[in-house]
Amino acid sequence: MGKAIIEVQDVHKVFDQGAAQVEALGGVTLDIHEGEFTVLIGPSGCGKSTLLYLMAGFEQPTAGRILLDGREIAGPGPDRGFVFQDYALFPWKTVLGNVMFGLIHNGWSKSEAQRVAQEYINLVHLGGFENAYPHTLSGGMKQRVGIARALAYNPKVLLMDEPFGALDAQTRKHMQRELVDIWDKTHKTVVFVTHSVIEAVFLADRIVVMTARPGTVKGIVDVDMARPRDYTGEAFLAVRRRVLNLLEEEVEKEIRLQEQAGEV
Amino acid sequence: MGVSWRKHKSSRATGSRWWLPALPVALFLAGWQLLAGVNLINPSLFPPPTEIASELAELYTSGLPTRSLLIGHVTATLSRLLVASVIGILSGTLAGALMGISSRLYRFFDPLITVLMPVPGIAMAPLFIVWLGFGDPTIIALGSIAAFFPLAYNTAAGVRSIDPQLVRAARMMEAGKGTLLFDVYLPWAAGYVLVGVKLGLARCWRTIIAVEFIAAASWGLGYMIWDAAEYLRAGVVYGGIFLLIIIYFVIEKGLVNTLEKFTVERWGMVQR
Amino acid sequence: MNGDSGRAAAKSIVEFLFPFLVVGLLWELAVRLHLVGMEMLPSPSVIVGKLWTLTIRGVLLHHLASSLYRLAIGYVLAVGLGIIVGVALASRRLLREMFAPVLSMLISVPTIAWVPVLLITMGLGDRTVITAVFLGGFFAITYNTMRGIEMVNQGQLNAARIMGVSGWRLFVEVLLPASLVSVITGLRLGIGYSWRALVGGEMLSALVEWGIGKMVYQARFWNDVAVMLMGLLIIGFSGFLLDRVLLKWLERETVEKWGMLAKR
Ligand SMILES: Nc1ncnc2c1ncn2[C@@H]1O[C@H](COP(=O)(O)OP(=O)(O)OP(=O)(O)O)[C@@H](O)[C@H]1O
Ligand SMILES: [Mg+2]
Repeated sequence: MGKAIIEVQDVHKVFDQGAAQVEALGGVTLDIHEGEFTVLIGPSGCGKSTLLYLMAGFEQPTAGRILLDGREIAGPGPDRGFVFQDYALFPWKTVLGNVMFGLIHNGWSKSEAQRVAQEYINLVHLGGFENAYPHTLSGGMKQRVGIARALAYNPKVLLMDEPFGALDAQTRKHMQRELVDIWDKTHKTVVFVTHSVIEAVFLADRIVVMTARPGTVKGIVDVDMARPRDYTGEAFLAVRRRVLNLLEEEVEKEIRLQEQAGEV
Repeated sequence: MGVSWRKHKSSRATGSRWWLPALPVALFLAGWQLLAGVNLINPSLFPPPTEIASELAELYTSGLPTRSLLIGHVTATLSRLLVASVIGILSGTLAGALMGISSRLYRFFDPLITVLMPVPGIAMAPLFIVWLGFGDPTIIALGSIAAFFPLAYNTAAGVRSIDPQLVRAARMMEAGKGTLLFDVYLPWAAGYVLVGVKLGLARCWRTIIAVEFIAAASWGLGYMIWDAAEYLRAGVVYGGIFLLIIIYFVIEKGLVNTLEKFTVERWGMVQR
Repeated sequence: MNGDSGRAAAKSIVEFLFPFLVVGLLWELAVRLHLVGMEMLPSPSVIVGKLWTLTIRGVLLHHLASSLYRLAIGYVLAVGLGIIVGVALASRRLLREMFAPVLSMLISVPTIAWVPVLLITMGLGDRTVITAVFLGGFFAITYNTMRGIEMVNQGQLNAARIMGVSGWRLFVEVLLPASLVSVITGLRLGIGYSWRALVGGEMLSALVEWGIGKMVYQARFWNDVAVMLMGLLIIGFSGFLLDRVLLKWLERETVEKWGMLAKR
């Protein structure tokens, strides 16, 4: 287990919604360990994305602080990478242009940036699509670009906000396996938000279960299983049950949702 | 989601800032008044706002017991707008619907419309003066043409975008040609038609003002402004433009938005 | 492949011109059969003859060149200032709240209505026409630039920010291309308004001697309907070409190629 690279210290976040105020996070304290794959899970609207946005520096906490490598996060910066649910690719740039973006703007020379970008494009199995524009790609391919773009400039931490949420069940499973492969090769520190317990158990070293809004940490489940994991294995089901137990009243709903989505 | 790229501090107090847009206008008017008052800007070219107001008031009162000059100009322009826009909107919608249904008609008329659209009404005025003489016929004809094009163009686009499933369903219920046009095609295209009405009304208004500059016999806001410019009565020119802004604001907010509320919005075809 | 696309282009040009041919023939026939009087509606052959004599005498070219010169100056000014002001309004909330309502009111004023004011304040010559051209384009471009930047996808901005891009580079690399759909809409609307303001301005400015609008206006004194009709056709075709050839091309090479049009 690595040292804490991100320290979330009693973080509160309150949003103004017109006249009303919404408390999204109600005092979160959490360490993210270096080299670990951490998954945040919790009921809808509990503030998972908000917590991730705070780590990214897109938003500032209302109270409390978040440290990255011991320094308080002041804003977004290239020591972190972000993968968005809706991809947020630049439609005016090709696949190569998207992946090179972070490199070009962080001091790589053009030829070097191209070489590194190519490496990551190959890593996500998009070789041959370098000159395609994003709108010509399928959802799964777009998210591979998103992942390559976020990894290419070698950030310390990779933040992923339901990256496979917009994909169909088949593609989603496939992407999960690929992400495990990629993680095996890079051993990046990852913070990954999801709705799906199965996805969480399949990917995580540590699963952080959050309470309903205002979000706090309800419990942490360590997953000590070799990868790639077997969805149907005894150990897998046991961890899944523990997480589901923690999700309490969400259990029924969650299982029903997953059955509907054909994930069981 | 429309979010500005700078982080907003918070959206507190948006309701209480209604006066913000009035601020620059008030400052502008006050500055103008002051500078013209001390002759720093030439008051015969930039008469101070108070003088503009009194010029307008004078126009209003002159000829009053029988017919106010100002009201006469306004009603002349508005009645032309009414007639011309009704003609243009109806004929444009009909033409657009036909073009939308028949792709042969569309292919034939689309090039003609795209080339005629960029011709401003005022450029056609000399020709129409030869044909129809000065005054109402020329102004109304050009106003109708101006309204016609956006309607034809948008209605055609709307009808062409129709979901073929809907037509098939209607055919299945043995809808006649007329029913199909009025109960299926046009309601479907209503959103497009409304955009066309908005654009058509705006073009009609612009064209009527412009054509009144050179083709009106003696009445109309355009005529009033042009006449004042010829005699260097700057106050009336500015006052006239002020009136144009106010009148069009009322037309657009009042008429077009009401129309929208009663049609497509009720059918849930546009989101607010 | 090249020959194919060439043939397709030729075919579409023929298809485009076909209706004009048909209308011209019917018109010619109507005049020859004395269905309409020649003074009221000269036949296309007469108009083409006029076009020919005015062209070889160089008169037409002189008119066109004067018009294009005024258009170029006024429109380029409108594009430059319109984009700058639009960006300023979109990026400063205070500015936007102060000026956006004024702007939307000024947009509703027919550009041609400014001409009397300009005639009084700027004289009866070129300056008035060029200013009218400028005003015509400026408001549409400003407004659409503002709207475009306001509607930029927050995810794309965040993606750029976390890769360390901010300030001027963020503007050039992300904000401008991301809002280009709307900016181009503004450019296209703008050139339409500018073109009409040009023609109207030339007609109304007493000291302007050359220009396509002036040509039509002067024809009134000789009751020369043929020149009027010819002028109208030239005005229509030029306006059409400016939009379709210049701006439509820009649109095709950028936002259309990037697949940004369909999403709106
Ligand atoms: N920018 C914002 N302005 C106002 N309220 C916000 C904003 N972002 C989030 N919220 C509110 O904060 C709460 C938490 O939102 P958040 O998106 O973090 O939840 P989440 O756990 O990611 O939900 P989901 O599972 O649906 O993605 C919600 O009630 C949401 O409406
Ligand atoms: Mg979320």
